[in-house]
Amino acid sequence: MRAIVIEDDPAINKQIVTRLKQEGFAVDSANNGKDGLYLIREYPSDVAIVDLGLPQMSGLEVIRKIRAEGSKLPILILTARGRWQDKVEGLDAGADDYLVKPFHQEEMMARIRVLIRRAAGWSDSSLHCGPIVLEPSSQRVMLSGEEVELTAYEYRVIEYLMMHAGEVVSKSVLTEHLYDDEGDRDSNVIEVFIRRLRQKLDPEETLQPIETLRGRGYRLTLSAAKSA
Amino acid sequence: MLLTSLIVLVAFMVLTVMALRHAVDQRMIEAEKDKLQSLMYGILAAVDRDSTGLSITVSDARIFERALFDSGSGLYAFLYDKKGEIWRSSSSRQSFNKVTDLADEEMRFSRVQQHGKIWFQQAFSIRWPNVHDRLSLYELVIWKSTDDYIQQYERFSQTLWLWLAITIILLLLIMWLVMLWGLRPLRLIGEEVQAIESHQKQRFDANYPSEIKPLTQNLNLLLQREQHQMQRYRNALDDLAHSLKTPLAVLRGLSDKQSQWSDEDRRTLQEQNDRMNQIVSYQLQKAVTLGGELMTHPVNLGALLDKTINALRKVYRGKAIRIELKSSVSASVRMDESDLLEVLGNLIDNACKYGHNRVLVQALQQQDSIQLTIEDDGKGLKAEQLEKILTRGMRLDQTQEGQGIGLAVVKEIVGVYAIPMKFDSSALGGLKVTLTFEVAETTV
Repeated sequence: MRAIVIEDDPAINKQIVTRLKQEGFAVDSANNGKDGLYLIREYPSDVAIVDLGLPQMSGLEVIRKIRAEGSKLPILILTARGRWQDKVEGLDAGADDYLVKPFHQEEMMARIRVLIRRAAGWSDSSLHCGPIVLEPSSQRVMLSGEEVELTAYEYRVIEYLMMHAGEVVSKSVLTEHLYDDEGDRDSNVIEVFIRRLRQKLDPEETLQPIETLRGRGYRLTLSAAKSA
Repeated sequence: MLLTSLIVLVAFMVLTVMALRHAVDQRMIEAEKDKLQSLMYGILAAVDRDSTGLSITVSDARIFERALFDSGSGLYAFLYDKKGEIWRSSSSRQSFNKVTDLADEEMRFSRVQQHGKIWFQQAFSIRWPNVHDRLSLYELVIWKSTDDYIQQYERFSQTLWLWLAITIILLLLIMWLVMLWGLRPLRLIGEEVQAIESHQKQRFDANYPSEIKPLTQNLNLLLQREQHQMQRYRNALDDLAHSLKTPLAVLRGLSDKQSQWSDEDRRTLQEQNDRMNQIVSYQLQKAVTLGGELMTHPVNLGALLDKTINALRKVYRGKAIRIELKSSVSASVRMDESDLLEVLGNLIDNACKYGHNRVLVQALQQQDSIQLTIEDDGKGLKAEQLEKILTRGMRLDQTQEGQGIGLAVVKEIVGVYAIPMKFDSSALGGLKVTLTFEVAETTV
């Protein structure tokens, strides 16, 4: 998952970024509205955390601009004042949820997960695809009720694929949503992760959960139990 | 205003007429008195001894007043001695009573009732010597009918009242015109106040006469200062919010992190951090509640309800809760938009939090008021809990975990605006909050 953090206070910015990284997110951050808008436009992401009181361009303006451009990126706004006027204006401008500063990081993470899940069309807190169950809050993956040991990167790949179950996900999209820096990106490594995931999730090769579409990418073929 | 002027004008005119009538009456009576006195002297000049030389009589030939000879002229003269009448003017066919209480040589003018009407009476008691030089007492009395006087007085009164009526009508007309012209600037001020209220204008800028200009200039200054102050105040509070909440956020972030602190230390740190945050939030909310701001722009309650509910539907999309809105309200209420949003946001958010799957918001417009009810199908609150909410002091160290500051802020705001707020049990099973707003007048 890739998140964009736009927050002008360096300490809070760092805290959010650190926490998101701990949770396995690839994170881009900006400390003003203009740079933030640039990041949102340039880097396909899964969620944006936007402070309302930003220098150069307010958070509201950033949200209005990207919504006017047709973006459906889930947005969580942060407000210091906590007045309902700010919350209503933010939500009215196109944000999807709000958090009043100061907030518990647990709450922030819970809300971010809900936003990502909702945007992908999932209503339940854990993702069910056939016998595979993924719990984003604990970052655990179960196969027929048994926990499967995955590395951080393997988890990120399966989480993204399950989140977008049934959709074709290209290698480049996967790398963008997995890595922080462009320098780290190597699409060959993705193939390694996919192979390992196939071995771990389908040791008997009966499920065939991940389909390879030559030249286009991968698709999770198991039927997703989305009820939203 | 015109009515007050009319009352004052009529009262003034009536008093003037009364005074005038009294003065003229006095003057006319004085004139009658003078006239009768000189007639009295005329008659006295015609008095002489009679043929016996023992008494006196009046020689008609020496009297010049012709009315004394015209029968029924209304002017009669009588001469009495001790025994009775000794002479009367030929105009008189009937007798008149003698004046009994006249002192020696007294001349008296009075109004007397006789023969069924009022007469002017001029009486004079005189001493006259007979041939033996002995003085005898005589009484000369002139009676004059008041008919002429009454007629003249009535005519005068009629003319006076007629002119009074004409003057009042003319004056009222002039006053009305003057007022129409004179109050024009005030009407203009009214229109401008309306424009300022509806934020179409920032200041009074119409062309006012020099008498009104100082007022509008001062009002402009006041408005400008007020807007400026309010802006400064809000900016200062925003800055304060930022500068206090940001370090609190950082502290909370630290306390959330796994660290060398023991669990208990971390919990204490988090608790104290939360408490500081609540105090700061509550005091800031309280401080930005405007309440009595000058010229608060009326806001459309229906539109704000829509806006708030749409925002909350987004927030609670994940929770299976249905927010129903039943509103036919088109009227506005005089409240700061941000304060009203604070009330609506907190109350509906609470209903969504505590409701199971249904929140019902209803706005009903009565004549001069709008009744807003917000209810949910949650567990509701027991009587003692309700009591606690209503009577609990605003001290934040008394609030319980999970209660937040929402309700305290709402109570503060509705208190400032004097909006009645009532808590009941909802038919849906949960809490029902009823607020009664006064409809804002749209004209000044």
